[in-house]
Amino acid sequence: MTRVLEASGIVRRFGGLTAVGGVDIHVDAGEMVGLIGPNGSGKTTLFDCLSRVQTIDEGHIVLNGTDISKMQPHQVAHIGLSRTFQVLRVYRELTVLENMELSVQWGDISLLSSFRKPTKETTERADRLIDFLLLSRLRDQQASSLSGGQRRLLELGMALMSEPSIVLLDEAMSGVNPSLVEQIKDRIRILNQEQGVSFLLVEHDIRFVKDLCDRVVVLNYGEKLAEGAPDEIMENEAVIEAYFGDDGTEGAGDAGN
Amino acid sequence: MNKSVFKTIGLVSAALLVAMLFFLPMLGHYGNDSTLFTVTLLLASVGTAISWNLTGGFTGYVDFGHAVWWGIGAYTTGVLMSNESEWIPQQWPLVPALIVSMFFTALVANLVGRLTMRLSGPYFSIAMLGFFVFFREVVRVAGPLTNRGIGLTIKPVINRPLWYYITLIFVLFLVYLSWWLRRTRFGASLIAIREDEIGAEMRGIDTTRNKVMVFTLSGAITGLLGGMWAYQNTFLDPDIAFVEVRTIDAVMGTMLGGLGTVAGPIIGMVFLFVLRELLWTQESLLQTHLIVQGLLLGAVVLYLPKGLMGLVRGEVAFLDRFRERSSTFDGMESAVLEAQESPISDSEDEHPHDPVALHPTWDGRTS
Repeated sequence: MTRVLEASGIVRRFGGLTAVGGVDIHVDAGEMVGLIGPNGSGKTTLFDCLSRVQTIDEGHIVLNGTDISKMQPHQVAHIGLSRTFQVLRVYRELTVLENMELSVQWGDISLLSSFRKPTKETTERADRLIDFLLLSRLRDQQASSLSGGQRRLLELGMALMSEPSIVLLDEAMSGVNPSLVEQIKDRIRILNQEQGVSFLLVEHDIRFVKDLCDRVVVLNYGEKLAEGAPDEIMENEAVIEAYFGDDGTEGAGDAGN
Repeated sequence: MNKSVFKTIGLVSAALLVAMLFFLPMLGHYGNDSTLFTVTLLLASVGTAISWNLTGGFTGYVDFGHAVWWGIGAYTTGVLMSNESEWIPQQWPLVPALIVSMFFTALVANLVGRLTMRLSGPYFSIAMLGFFVFFREVVRVAGPLTNRGIGLTIKPVINRPLWYYITLIFVLFLVYLSWWLRRTRFGASLIAIREDEIGAEMRGIDTTRNKVMVFTLSGAITGLLGGMWAYQNTFLDPDIAFVEVRTIDAVMGTMLGGLGTVAGPIIGMVFLFVLRELLWTQESLLQTHLIVQGLLLGAVVLYLPKGLMGLVRGEVAFLDRFRERSSTFDGMESAVLEAQESPISDSEDEHPHDPVALHPTWDGRTS
């Protein structure tokens, strides 16, 4: 099986704090991998390292056969990695369609052609994705008038516009209405099965991870605690101790992670 | 009133304004050299505001040292066209001097942009203020090249009406440039950078390159305007070439008209100019225009964050709050209804205290 993303020995320190301490993680073509762990376990920092939003202190990241350890985020996006953010990053003053058109694969656009309007193909692709994500009614609305859940969907669409080989989803379900969760899950599954897009997802909703993922990686204190099939992980005692032990506090104070 | 009515009114008034400007030199007494000199200066300020708006409005990088490009452009033209510079005593013809001024300013802007465009928010603004002061003092002490800050004189050979028309055409070109740029992918990427730079970078936009490019373009335009001003003014020294008020005017005019809109800088600068001329005529109130202008800027930021363009579109801070209470705003009601009817709506609001959310626009596209 082709390896889409392979990161080895990733270390990220903030002053004296080691947020990620030597994590190995990989995602194969067409695979869905879940990344779970208690608050502050380094999930989002690892995501930031993998997408190069943050620099890494040690380790290597290979994406589609290219070493991206020293690349800029936009270069990483050009070779097939796309992501969403825990804190939504849509362009609030632009319409849904404009948000989508702007998220095109910029690696294919020469400097000269960036001084043109979006092409017909771009608009068509954007419209197809808008339909697919059930946002057609809101196509010409400003993103600022969308609800949180609708913006999550828009951001997913934006992440897909560049035809990525892997998408990193950072808590795509956070704050989303339960009825919408099912729809988003359904869309992700279709993308994975029909288009072969790989996903790496950080998620707190365990059922969501269990339903979607082939494999789960558990982080604790910036280190890998366990890895395996969802069912095995659920029964792993170390995981239960670290992650499910304080179930009462989990989930509610999630936003600061 | 709906959007298309405003658009028609806007286009008709723009056409009238352009026609008026076009016929101005033919109006005898009203079109005398002194008037043309003043209106040429107004046109140059409109041009400066348009170029400031490219970085400050479109890209969201508020440049407090923008007048530095005017000064550098003016001084390059001065050095090349005057015989008082010891290093370059030859008197260059106008056109090559202006071309060199534009490219030289663009080069300096490019180098400065590479440094300062990494900074965000107030750090960028303050760094630019620093560069403004730095370059003014460099010119003052640059010795034989700039005539040691004493000043440079350019031979006055100007055909006032012709110069007026050249400036008018150049500024009209800048309006078109700004309108066209906003509609390209490059222009849209600038808006994306303003809205969310990390997000834009992650969506594949080379934000550093695009920021430096727009900054260079903005510098080149203002540099050329500065060179044109030096030629029209026939004399320059560091204190009149590097003037903070040029930055303040550009910021104020753009804020007043509508930050990040194509028409904003034009409307705002014309409004400021008319206001200034009205207050100026009363001899005892020489500085009144500054008091009024200052208060106006405060009021605009507080109550009209989207400027006169926002007012035209019905986006006024206190009115919006009023409408939220009385619920009589059709657009908002229909949008709320739409959101409720939507099969995928939910009630979460991600940014309840976001200032932008207080001034929602329902008309789709920002111009």
